[in-house]
Amino acid sequence: MNNLEKIQNNKSIKVKIKNINLFYDNYQALKDVSFDIFENEITALIGPSGCGKSTLLRCINRMNDLIPNCKINGIIDIDSKNIYNKDMDVNELRKNVGMVFQKPNPFSMSIYDNVAYGPRTHGIKKKQQLDRIVKESLEKAYMWEEVKDRLNKSALSLSGGQQQRLCIARALAVNPKIILLDEATSALDPTSTSKIEDLINNLKKDYTIIIVTHNMQQATRIADKTAFFLSGELVEYDKTENIFSKPQDIRTEKYITGRFG
Amino acid sequence: MNRTLKIKKFNENFIKIVFYIAALFSIIAVAAIFVFLFIQGIPAISKIGLFNFLLGSKWDILHGIDYYTSSTLQGSYGIATTIIGTVYVTLFATLIGGVIGVFTAIFLSRFCPKKLKNILSQLVNLLAGIPSVIYGFFGLNVIQPLLGKFSDNGSGTGILSVSIILAIMILPTIIAISKNSLDAVPDSYYEASRALGDSHSQSVFGAILPAAKSGIVTSIILGVGRAIGETMAVALLCGNATVFPNGMFGAFSTMTSHIVNGLGELQPNQVAFGAMVATGFVLFIFVLIINLLFQFVNRKRDDNKKTIRTVFFKNKSKIFAVFLKCLSYITSILSIVSLGIIVLYIFIKGLPNITSSMFAITGTYSGSPTILPSIISTLMLVFLSLIIAVPIGIGASIFLSEYTKSSNKLIKVIRIGIETLASIPSIIYALFGAAFFVYALKFGVSILSGALTISLMIIPVIIRSCEESLKTVPDSYREGSYALGSGKIRTIFKIIIPSALSGILSSVILSIGRIVSESAPLLFTMGGGKMTIIPTSFMSSGTSLSVLMYAFSGENKYMNECWATASILLIIIFTLNLLSTLIVRKFNIKKR
Repeated sequence: MNNLEKIQNNKSIKVKIKNINLFYDNYQALKDVSFDIFENEITALIGPSGCGKSTLLRCINRMNDLIPNCKINGIIDIDSKNIYNKDMDVNELRKNVGMVFQKPNPFSMSIYDNVAYGPRTHGIKKKQQLDRIVKESLEKAYMWEEVKDRLNKSALSLSGGQQQRLCIARALAVNPKIILLDEATSALDPTSTSKIEDLINNLKKDYTIIIVTHNMQQATRIADKTAFFLSGELVEYDKTENIFSKPQDIRTEKYITGRFG
Repeated sequence: MNRTLKIKKFNENFIKIVFYIAALFSIIAVAAIFVFLFIQGIPAISKIGLFNFLLGSKWDILHGIDYYTSSTLQGSYGIATTIIGTVYVTLFATLIGGVIGVFTAIFLSRFCPKKLKNILSQLVNLLAGIPSVIYGFFGLNVIQPLLGKFSDNGSGTGILSVSIILAIMILPTIIAISKNSLDAVPDSYYEASRALGDSHSQSVFGAILPAAKSGIVTSIILGVGRAIGETMAVALLCGNATVFPNGMFGAFSTMTSHIVNGLGELQPNQVAFGAMVATGFVLFIFVLIINLLFQFVNRKRDDNKKTIRTVFFKNKSKIFAVFLKCLSYITSILSIVSLGIIVLYIFIKGLPNITSSMFAITGTYSGSPTILPSIISTLMLVFLSLIIAVPIGIGASIFLSEYTKSSNKLIKVIRIGIETLASIPSIIYALFGAAFFVYALKFGVSILSGALTISLMIIPVIIRSCEESLKTVPDSYREGSYALGSGKIRTIFKIIIPSALSGILSSVILSIGRIVSESAPLLFTMGGGKMTIIPTSFMSSGTSLSVLMYAFSGENKYMNECWATASILLIIIFTLNLLSTLIVRKFNIKKR
């Protein structure tokens, strides 16, 4: 960890995760997880199924609040403010921390209304302003040209890859600072996946991005930092090239060489 | 804590409480009905004596002196004859309807060509909505004269005719539910059987039928529930004599027909009224036992799936399988034909008799009766009932599907309340409505009382079907909305309800069908007379179309009008069904 801090002196910490423990009833899904996520970087969370990587991701926008019997201890600071504080407005938090899910989940409404849903939630009503936000968001998601003539068509008529980019556009429309992607390409074909990877890479300059992925090549292709989890524990966290070329922990090495998981 | 956050939280909680109250409503209603059955029934039973009441075979009340204040009770208040009558007809109807229904379901599920299967299944669903008055009227004018040829005194009244009509009435329920459980049997069972060299029929009866056993038992239990609580059709057919049934012919009474015939002249301060309520209570206990059976079967369902035993068909003889196959063909023809004949017969007799004078603003009952006042009353009833029941029903269903992720004890109680409310026979609602809304709240015999009573009946139906359609909204929509920072209220109103709208709308439309076809609960709460003028307010009494049919069918004078009204009712019910199917289909296409 030491050399990591050295390298990162010039970047500022966006998310500080401190001693997170998470329980589903009596099952402990996260064990004392602590690490820092840096601004304008892509951080990948990897590990075998059930290792807690998605659970941790869902802690960062408090989506775990929706799960009954889920108990969380610890602190997550975003911009030095603990999101688990009592006076935190969860809806405001989720506006700042966008999320894209494993399966594309556009609402059954038009493409336009899907993107405008978030801004409308947060009180934007003017048609011109909404038009501008929808256009900008779709442009950022590389799909304005594809859909500009059929904004009023149902979002469910799009292909899987387009739906997922629409969901990214929808997340961008509320102007978040952080974007969480929960295995966002695992349900897509290789062409759509590479489009979305390009897109994520391009978004890095404006956003802090955290991805959960099963695909280790994907982590090497796009992530600046990679965190490896095993049975709820953070095993190793370092620059991506270090994790994949000279892992410090034998368990990381076993995982990336495919010997378990 | 900052101020806007506080306001947001307050709003979220406020809406939650509104939904919560809607959900609590079912428990309150069930509790009120229970308390009422006790308060009204217990004093009467203690006055009569439990023994005399349940086992007494004589019902002979003396009007005018049977008040609780009378020092000695004169007259006899035994309902044993009606209990036996109920048991008889339920048993026979279930036997006939069960065999025909189950074998029809087997045919539809496994022997029928696919195209025909879809048409027939739709048809069966449609027939489930036919008002019971129409079944009763058909039995009175077609079945009974036919059966009369075989009886000694030339009258077809009696156990046999009631059982046949009840059997036809429970067919749609039994067919639909049995068919669903047969359809749900995995193909692998069938393939395994075929792989062992069995014929198609052998596989159907040897492997598929045993696997669907619990669903079939469930369908029969629900059929029993429907038969035991059926009121109007029975009241029209049984002859209403409080004597023990003797053979297949001869007048008798069931608990339901006994109540519906006796209640009209009674007031809550009479012992006889209490005795009627107590009769309803006995009926309710029968229904509760059936429900317990139903839950028992449902609980056992999982155990059954573990072992596929060929209970029904052990010897695997090819000839026996062919025999069963033939039986399923014959019963299918029988059930489709009998249901089809009812509809056709009513249209043939009714449609030519629809005349313009039936829609005159005012009418007289010496000359040409008008049904316009009844149509207006029905519309007012539908309007008022929907205003009461739809918000409560939808609110409760939202609470159950969106706010109850954790298995809270109170939620379980609410669910039991809804199930109980849904299974209470309509005649008990009639008793409750008459005593509570008409007398206790002093709303009188009015459209308002009728609407309140019928709302109680349709609320559980709306809750169930709305909850079903809310459940079909994928969780990913909810997550997607929350992840954008939307609160619960916005997610519910902007995402969840619009996605479930087609289901919600179709359930509302089907409940309109229910309001139009119900008659027993309206007879004493809204009015049962032949109307000559259009009602002017919700406090006026009114006779809905179904109740009007009941009133008409008592007199031979208005046969043509009665057939005409029956065909109008059928057209309304079928149109509503069609509408709800179209809505679901249209929304589904739009989603693509």
